[in-house]
Amino acid sequence: MKRTMLALRHVTRTFGDGESSITILDDLSFEVSEGEFVAVLGPSGSGKSTFLSIAGALLTPTEGEVVIDGQPLSGLNSQKLAGLRLNKIGFMFQSANLIPYLKVEEQLLFVAKLSGMDRREAQRRAGELLERLGLEKRRNYYPERLSGGEKQRTAIARAWMNRPAILLADEPTASLDSNRGQMIVRMIAEEVKAEKKAAVMVTHDERMLHYCDRVLHLEDGKLREA
Amino acid sequence: MFLSLREIRHAKARYALLLVIMLLLTFLVLFVTGLARGLAYANGSAIENMPVNYFMLQKDSDNRFSRSMLDQTQLNEARSRIGKDKMASLGIRMSTITVDGGSRKTDIAVFGVDMSGLLAPDVIQGSAVADTDEGKVVADRKLEQSGVKIGSTIKDQATGMSWKVAGFTSDASYSHAPVVFMNELEWSKLARTSSMPGGPAEGAFNAIAVKGDKAVLAEAAGTMTDVDLISKKTAIAGIPGYSAEQKSLTMMIAFLFIIAAFVLTVFSYVITIQKTGQFGVLKAIGVKTSYLAGSVLTQMLLLSCTSVAISLLLTWGMVQVLPASMPFSLKPAVIAFTSLLMIAVSAAGALISVIRVAKIDALDAIGRAV
Ligand SMILES: Nc1ncnc2c1ncn2[C@@H]1O[C@H](COP(=O)(O)OP(=O)(O)O)[C@@H](O)[C@H]1O
Ligand SMILES: [Mg+2]
Repeated sequence: MKRTMLALRHVTRTFGDGESSITILDDLSFEVSEGEFVAVLGPSGSGKSTFLSIAGALLTPTEGEVVIDGQPLSGLNSQKLAGLRLNKIGFMFQSANLIPYLKVEEQLLFVAKLSGMDRREAQRRAGELLERLGLEKRRNYYPERLSGGEKQRTAIARAWMNRPAILLADEPTASLDSNRGQMIVRMIAEEVKAEKKAAVMVTHDERMLHYCDRVLHLEDGKLREA
Repeated sequence: MFLSLREIRHAKARYALLLVIMLLLTFLVLFVTGLARGLAYANGSAIENMPVNYFMLQKDSDNRFSRSMLDQTQLNEARSRIGKDKMASLGIRMSTITVDGGSRKTDIAVFGVDMSGLLAPDVIQGSAVADTDEGKVVADRKLEQSGVKIGSTIKDQATGMSWKVAGFTSDASYSHAPVVFMNELEWSKLARTSSMPGGPAEGAFNAIAVKGDKAVLAEAAGTMTDVDLISKKTAIAGIPGYSAEQKSLTMMIAFLFIIAAFVLTVFSYVITIQKTGQFGVLKAIGVKTSYLAGSVLTQMLLLSCTSVAISLLLTWGMVQVLPASMPFSLKPAVIAFTSLLMIAVSAAGALISVIRVAKIDALDAIGRAV
């Protein structure tokens, strides 16, 4: 049996209260195992970001349970949740998610430092990730001097830096052209295999799915197999 | 530290600007403080440097030497109740003099004191004046700037009396005028010659300088005829012009602190608002709010400590080139207090930003096409 990296059990999320409340996620259940790269497809406004926020311990579900690498999230305070996001989850956002005043390598060293990784070990790991993602020549660049693709590659490297159980990516290709987008998706897929972890990518772009092991559709608050 | 330092490194111009603003404000605060202290000293150093801690004045004289008139009755009472070696009479008059027959006028303060008592001036040049000497005085050395030398003759404009300057003392100013010390003999003559109606009567003086325990002195004063006991600080504050001068300077300093607090708060807040997106991302990837708040605060403290250090250097440099006649005085305790207050003000200014950082939602990072 492969390890379950992320599980959502009967998750419901509503916004607003009383008559004006809308249900975005409706009794949704979902699991990702080790080595799996899952794509969640859905049109804009279907609740993809809401889904990812709940999976990423940024938003609490109205009902249901989230378990990350065996750890249920219910009952954890905000400090514990921050610690869990730091060590168990790697995030990638649409764009603009690098810290503008940190050089490429420092983006990685910073999260390693926060998680208490040994400095030499962090240096080694950063070097290895940057090399795999073709960024070794960019390690001393500020984000402002990187291309869109390089920025997202840096984001991938940072997301994997602390060896999280799972990488969560919210439309990571939205700000890139099709070719570059596909390269980013391929790199995420390669890292999932190399790290033996898991990843979930939400997107509304159907051209980005070649490298995914599983594709799900988010419709009416539920996930359906394609 | 990791974030604060690297951010300063990356946005050098922005932080240099903030640093310069803080530096100039701190420098200005230090400068005005030095000036205020210097003026206070120039105003009352003669009283300040007296080896006593209290003064007895006539009742209801509003803490002002000029409004107080005491005579031998009180002096005798004080002598018997406090002891001869712990008290001395003090006569004070403002006057205008000319030097060596010239026509240039100079304002002075005349102090009539017992030349063998507590208030006898320390002579640093020339010779002292004895209680029996006639027509001789000891002058503050600032009178040199008006052309007075040892042996010069100074002439009182109002009475026409003149005295020979036998010696110089230092650090003796009263109401911004250099002090001329004379013995009681000359003081009585001056009083007698003074034709002003209501002027000091023979044997009269303005105050009794006393030293000792407050309780003991207060008790003694209570049993004496028509006297009030005031502290040295109160007496200095009662020097004409002293309070008005210090109040306006203190107000300037207070305003500078308010301006500093305001500028720093706004600056730090604007920078923080600009970084809302970034803080959202940082929180999303698991950075704790306390770390971010610490980072904002550290940055402000780094800037304020640096600017305080540089402005201290600037102040020191300026003191070196200030003309000696410029009243300026900064004691280490005052410097330390001002510096710490400035650092505290900037930390307080960063506090609103910290609150703002705490309110930023990590969710802002996700699903936003910035
Ligand atoms: N905090 C919120 N309060 C109210 N409605 C929200 C909130 N967050 C998201 N929504 C709504 O939920 C729906 C899904 O949003 P989102 O998950 O961002 O969709 P997607 O990422 O698929 O575009 C949208 O209609 C949005 O308006
Ligand atoms: Mg979205």
